[in-house]
Amino acid sequence: MRELALLLLAAAVAHGVALRLRIPAIPLLIFAGFGLRWAAPPPERFLQEALLLGVAFLVFAAGVELDPGRARARGGLAVRIGLVQFAVLGAGGVATALLFGAGVSTALWLGLTLTASSTLVVVRLLQQRGALFESWGRLTVGVLLLQDLLVILLIPVLSGLPEGIAPVARGLLGTLFLLVLAGAFYRYGTPRLLARVAGDGETLLLTALALLFVFLFLASTFRLPLVTGAFLGGVALSGFPLSGLLRGPLSSIRDFFTAIFFVALGASLGQPTGPEWMLALAFALLVPLLTLPVVAWSAERAGFSARPALMAGLLLSQTSEFSLVAGLQGLATGQLDEGVFRVITLVTLLTMTATPLLASDGVSLRLLHLHPSRRARTAEGEAPSGHVLLLGCGSGGMPLLETLRLAPSPVVVMDDDPRVVAFLRESGVEAHRGDASDPRALARVGIDRARVVVSTLRSAADNHEVLRAAAGVPVLVRVFEERERRWVEAHGGVPVPVADLAASDFLQWVDRRGWERPDELDDLEAQETI
Amino acid sequence: MDEVRLLQDMGLVLVAAAAAALAARPLRLPSIVAWLMAGLMLGPILGWVVLDPATAKEGGVGLAAKIGIALLLFLVGLELSFRTIRDIGAVSVLGGVAQMGTTALVGWGVSRALGFPGGAALFIGIALSFSSTVVVVRLLEERGDLQDTYGRISVGILLVQDLAVVIVMTVLAGIAAGGGGGVLSTLRPVGIAFGGMALLVVAAFGIASRLFPRPFAWISRFPEALLVWSLAWCFLLIFAAGLLGLSLELGAFLAGISLAQLPWAHALRRRVAPLVTFFLALFFVGLGIQMDLGSALADWSTVLALTAFVLLGKPILLLLVVPRLGFGERTATLAGITLGQASEFAFILAGVAQGIGLIDARTTAVIGGVGILTMGTSAVLIPRSRRLYAALRRLRLLRIFRAPHEGRRDRELGVGGPHGPGEGMRDHVIVVGMNALGRAIVQGLQSRGVATLAIDTDPAKLEGLGGAQLVGSADDPEMLHGAGIERARLVVSALRIEDANLLLAWRSRLLGVPVAIHAFDPSVVEELLETGVTHLMDSKMAGARGTAALLGARGIYG
Repeated sequence: MRELALLLLAAAVAHGVALRLRIPAIPLLIFAGFGLRWAAPPPERFLQEALLLGVAFLVFAAGVELDPGRARARGGLAVRIGLVQFAVLGAGGVATALLFGAGVSTALWLGLTLTASSTLVVVRLLQQRGALFESWGRLTVGVLLLQDLLVILLIPVLSGLPEGIAPVARGLLGTLFLLVLAGAFYRYGTPRLLARVAGDGETLLLTALALLFVFLFLASTFRLPLVTGAFLGGVALSGFPLSGLLRGPLSSIRDFFTAIFFVALGASLGQPTGPEWMLALAFALLVPLLTLPVVAWSAERAGFSARPALMAGLLLSQTSEFSLVAGLQGLATGQLDEGVFRVITLVTLLTMTATPLLASDGVSLRLLHLHPSRRARTAEGEAPSGHVLLLGCGSGGMPLLETLRLAPSPVVVMDDDPRVVAFLRESGVEAHRGDASDPRALARVGIDRARVVVSTLRSAADNHEVLRAAAGVPVLVRVFEERERRWVEAHGGVPVPVADLAASDFLQWVDRRGWERPDELDDLEAQETI
Repeated sequence: MDEVRLLQDMGLVLVAAAAAALAARPLRLPSIVAWLMAGLMLGPILGWVVLDPATAKEGGVGLAAKIGIALLLFLVGLELSFRTIRDIGAVSVLGGVAQMGTTALVGWGVSRALGFPGGAALFIGIALSFSSTVVVVRLLEERGDLQDTYGRISVGILLVQDLAVVIVMTVLAGIAAGGGGGVLSTLRPVGIAFGGMALLVVAAFGIASRLFPRPFAWISRFPEALLVWSLAWCFLLIFAAGLLGLSLELGAFLAGISLAQLPWAHALRRRVAPLVTFFLALFFVGLGIQMDLGSALADWSTVLALTAFVLLGKPILLLLVVPRLGFGERTATLAGITLGQASEFAFILAGVAQGIGLIDARTTAVIGGVGILTMGTSAVLIPRSRRLYAALRRLRLLRIFRAPHEGRRDRELGVGGPHGPGEGMRDHVIVVGMNALGRAIVQGLQSRGVATLAIDTDPAKLEGLGGAQLVGSADDPEMLHGAGIERARLVVSALRIEDANLLLAWRSRLLGVPVAIHAFDPSVVEELLETGVTHLMDSKMAGARGTAALLGARGIYG
């Protein structure tokens, strides 16, 4: 109990500091573990058990989040970009490790650990920025899920590699069997389980945990790494609404074991040596240097404009909790020594800490100035004037455009998505591809000569640039929260309070329908929404 | 590290727990009974599992079981807000003390008559005087009877019993420290233990009331960090209790009760509950595996006699006590049936007492047998308590328990007085997510005279809103139940979280409650429609209309 108390105390301090400094908690949890080892080292057996259970629950919870049905529906582009990034990072990691004198087996493990980005860190950052449902946000999440899956599938391959082809083939067959089993449960088991225990959270949770241990047992029977069993056990439960029902109770268990796991990991590591620091720094630099151009280039080729493509690249520029899981597996099979595992941990620690700083508006704007499209001189055409300028024509701007086209003033649209621009041009709308953070792009669409500007952009930095460039032209800015409204007013814009308007619509619906028969789906409104 | 052994033990225990829980559902047995039965099947009956003696005590499953007990007491402590104590305090203390005193005394007499020596007989009497918080609360909640007068009295008495358990633990800790010497050498450590307890109580409440409110108010906005902070506090107090020679249960309980006074305690309870389920299942199945069933079966007549005492004696004693506190025969009978079982704490106390040599393995086995039989029977009786009461009334068996002024307090206490924000609400609108949209909806509905219940994970976002409020996640069924979702006229989600919205829509439709969801992006609409939402709030469309109106006002459009 003393050890658990100390581990949790270290985790509590790490969480508090991480929230205060606005950086991800994982590096600080590991760092707190380092501190604990120095101040009051916990017994080895306790640490090993904490690591074992921590890995199982961490990977299991990640599996529950991967709903293959939904991922398939949304992820074609993410698969392409994810595969390119995975291949380049993996190859770059292996080459660098070989360059530093590592053996082939070590280099392969190091390469694998560099390929995954942190789902825990990136999803939280996307949520904080309200970008989870932006097209580039979805792309980023799709890439993350693919990486997790690839790492889990490759761990058994690398684990069996030193023993020859037969163990690798056996590992692959075993993984395939578990995959089929998980798929069968996902498809047929979920409805039956729901029918039996949907209303009983306790039994549902226990059944889910029992399934985790069944998959762990099967993985152990097929001599597969335990993480493969844990992840596929999670995937078996990832269908809706089962995953949703499990999310709440599982999150408590995951949060508890995750905190314990990362602190125990830090506490089980020895002091890194100078060469290990050097190697870790080299890899930590390699991750953004390769990820950023590869993801940004692939995303741009797929049709994204420069800014979101860059943001996706910046957000994915760190190694993952799955890198640590893979490293632990390499350590367990004896293919990695503790020094290499320390390097893997340090790379994760450095890159995760750097992510919130790297993936900021400021950095992306500076990088945009280096982008080839910005450096190239473009022919300046005659900018329009006396028009209504609509900035951003995604899901928020499109309904408005239909209305604006009825107005006597001409409408000009600027959007950073080439597919949107192409579609608008085909529909006869004057549309320009451009980024609102670029003053020259704003000048090209005549922002200072417009009759009025309507911004549906979410980023405060972008809106700031728009309000500055508009030079007295009225700018209507969509806002959701009260603080955004105050900000827009303070900067001279006219806020359009979306939340108040939606609330007003809802209250009208309530007044219109009354409480007599509110149970029917309002088909007309639903169709309108579609 | 024998990792395979650890996972094997834990896996078998969990699989058995899940299988037992699934099998017990049609029989409506409480999960604790199911887990104990599963343990008995795995261990003593089929002999499939023998827990690794090393891990059963200190590492692996053994440590997990200890964490389970600690977290259960932490959770019980979290339930004890001063408000709860004030509401039902006097009745519960009088009823609880009288019930425990009489049960312990009669239990001692029955045990002596069954041939147990004085010390063991007294211990049996005390151990059996407690009723099961987990069984009773679970079953009352299922029946929606927590707010009935008898339900509130039962819970109040259980809480008093929980406090008494802590005192008994402290005494046992004192006895353990005193060894086997005379009365003085036993009393001295008991005195030291109480001194340590007083010190721990003062320290826990002092720190929690003076140092915690501000930092915890800040951290409560981040559910993950709140859980870790609270568990760190729990295990620190357990550690401190250990240093003072006190039980881990006492430390955990004090940690819970010291945090229960802070405003976000109910949100924390919901976060801790799944952990309790996980660790407690390990504890109870493990307990069943290690139970000496042979001794209990060898003593079957003793087990049956004590079981009859608990099942009949406890309700009769309550029927004697409760009417004398001013309550009617209905309240007394229903409370008696509800509290007519042994407690999970009887197992824990017996384990501790056997560990310090106060009782032998046979007594522990007998207490275990009585516990399982009475909990199982209670699980069958409690859902049928009203029918049982009607039958007893028809047979005019309750007349003998009548007391002067009985029923007066029933009328005073009434049936109302909700504890949870949504428990007394009906035809209200639940609004989830207090972003600008959620707040505007709550205020708009309130201005129309509609009762609202606002929910958010961040307490700061609920500030300044009228109506009922709850801090917690919409993913949590317990919280929605606490919000009275079954009785709501409408559920609204203003959240911009796709998964949470889908789940809320699915749950509401399952209960037949109309639901309006924020369709914050066109990509989420299709799946929402598939779940059968009643109304979609399309904020982007509303924004487009609002923008057009503003442009119209400027003469640009329309």
